[in-house]
Amino acid sequence: MSLFWIVIRQLAESEAMATSKKVITREEWEKKLNDVKIRKEDMNKLVMNFLVTEGYVEAAEKFRMESGTEPDIDLATITDRMAVKKAVQSGNVEDAIEKVNDLNPEILDTNPQLFFHLQQQRLIELIRNGKVEEALEFAQEELAPRGEENQSFLEELERTVALLAFEDVSNCPVGELLDISQRLKTASEVNAAILTSQSHEKDPKLPSLLKMLLWAQNQLDEKAAYPRITDIPTATLEDPAV
Amino acid sequence: MMTDTNGNSSSSNNHHHHNQQDLSLYFLELSRHGSSQGPCDMDEDEEAPTELNTINSSGGFLVVSQDKLSIKYTSVDLHGHDVGVIQANKPAPRKRLVYYFEIYVKDAGTKGHVAIGFTSKGFKMRRQPGWEPNSYGYHGDDGLLYRGPGKSETFGPTFTSGDTVGGGINYATQEFFFTKNAQVVGTVSKDLKGPLFPTLAVHSQNEEVHVNFGQKPFAFDLKEFEAQERMKQQLKIEEITLPANVSYGIVRSYLLHYGYEDTLNSFDMASRSTVPPVYIPQENGVDGQEITYALSHRKTLRQLIRNGEIDTAFNKLREWYPQIVEDNTSATCFLLHCQKFIELVRVGALEEAVKYGRIELATFFRLPSFEALVQDCVALLAYEQPQESSVGYLLQDSQREVVADTVNAMILSTNPNLKDSKNCLHSYLERLLRQLTACCLEKRSLSGDQGEAFQLQSALSGGKNC
Repeated sequence: MSLFWIVIRQLAESEAMATSKKVITREEWEKKLNDVKIRKEDMNKLVMNFLVTEGYVEAAEKFRMESGTEPDIDLATITDRMAVKKAVQSGNVEDAIEKVNDLNPEILDTNPQLFFHLQQQRLIELIRNGKVEEALEFAQEELAPRGEENQSFLEELERTVALLAFEDVSNCPVGELLDISQRLKTASEVNAAILTSQSHEKDPKLPSLLKMLLWAQNQLDEKAAYPRITDIPTATLEDPAV
Repeated sequence: MMTDTNGNSSSSNNHHHHNQQDLSLYFLELSRHGSSQGPCDMDEDEEAPTELNTINSSGGFLVVSQDKLSIKYTSVDLHGHDVGVIQANKPAPRKRLVYYFEIYVKDAGTKGHVAIGFTSKGFKMRRQPGWEPNSYGYHGDDGLLYRGPGKSETFGPTFTSGDTVGGGINYATQEFFFTKNAQVVGTVSKDLKGPLFPTLAVHSQNEEVHVNFGQKPFAFDLKEFEAQERMKQQLKIEEITLPANVSYGIVRSYLLHYGYEDTLNSFDMASRSTVPPVYIPQENGVDGQEITYALSHRKTLRQLIRNGEIDTAFNKLREWYPQIVEDNTSATCFLLHCQKFIELVRVGALEEAVKYGRIELATFFRLPSFEALVQDCVALLAYEQPQESSVGYLLQDSQREVVADTVNAMILSTNPNLKDSKNCLHSYLERLLRQLTACCLEKRSLSGDQGEAFQLQSALSGGKNC
């Protein structure tokens, strides 16, 4: 054997040592997967938790009947919460504030940031509807005093008022405030605050578990080559890359 | 597990059809899970230290109390090889997030040479923890951390009479940590593998130390510490981004898979009216179609079985999918017969149950995979209050659910466009959860069995993580 090949072989060996990972074949891995017991009941709970947290009240009701799974929150409170969310999403911020206070006045009292964001959204809606005078009055009377208490509120306020400076908002650097996504952002903030006030987690558990799956796979990648699920939406098991 | 275990010659004739693979056998095994109380907690089989090991302690230099939970240095220290050192009776358990124990310094003696730490199995039992290789010790007289010959570093405050000091292993971060009077004083990276024993040492006259392996409440708030550690991990996990609406899609496919049609319709209706509408890329190809297959039939049969109307379910199956029930010895038919029997017991129609059992169940005795369930079913007759008995699980809703899931899977398997019949058994959600669990278990087993395993049940109750 020429020296060249000896060197190459040594290099290859040392590389293999450095990256020496356990290789788990598809067959071995499937055996391990089959040993895992997931209770149907627990999966049902996970699905119910998603429906309830995301506010699918009718689906949650149906799921209770079809699967016998009890929701972890009073379903009636979902309807109220969704009404608030919907009000923000369709731009009726005043209506939303009133509904939140009907639900539990402490939510806004104890959450100045949320209250500010709702008022900001109200201002945005006034500007969107071309009510310039009303918008200015509202900004000066309702929002400016809050800005004095909190630097970040002030910056937000200035950013929002900048919308008034542009006739064609499509040229405006803060134009995204008028975007539907801003309403959705505010709506989900209210939604989370209401859930927290009902001592319910503000996020469903399922996305966290899916993230944990990606995380766990990344961690295991360091130690082993095994069949992964890279495409979560189709839960497809891929052959290990060796 | 899914292969037919009845492959022996005596029964192979009867089982001709499904010898290659009767999918419903999978559910047969599931149906028996209820008999034990849920999946067993894999972490509870580990023994934790309960007392001091009086057998290998440094005899002569110290006295151990009767309850084996305190030590006292009774001789006069002359040199470095007459330390009164003692280990716990068991190594620190590893299949958890954190192990922790505490000592209380009753008396610091003449010099206050008290130490707490962790040592490996073959530790020299006349030396301070940290003086020898494979050991770590936090010493009271100087507050230093010792981790092997000649290796010590500034660590925490000194400790003496009246102080409570703790030592812990954080398996998530691979660190030791020590506490004094309920406050963490420092952490140090753990580069030891293998079992580690909680260890304490005294080394001057009249030094007396009590140990708490958890038999009493700790001074340190371990629960809070663990909660914070989990939170840190959770924050890292939350940084990962998921494809848009992926959870939505997983839930939807779950409802489709199990035939929860009414829920699905409400779910779809609601998501059409959300702003903005939830966009789900169409499930491409056959996999998506497989799953809408026979949806309303599957829903109807699930309802019937959940209501205990087994005869009607049987009739519908004979009408719609005769191939599923034509072999009366299949696991599907068996599960339905068992359920019919169970429903009769539930309503107290015991005579009828006996009659039904003789006709439909007796043939399944002595068939390896069927026998256990038949026996449990028949055992229901022995109790005046069967729901209280060891076979009471049969009367629970979950048993009906297993039978409904079996029928559902069997109907899915009749889909002519189906590529892999194993796809009928598990929803996407279940496949993902299995993968998650398997990854966590494998990772732990490749790290010397250290750390917490993932358990869906505890994740649901808001506690533990991977």
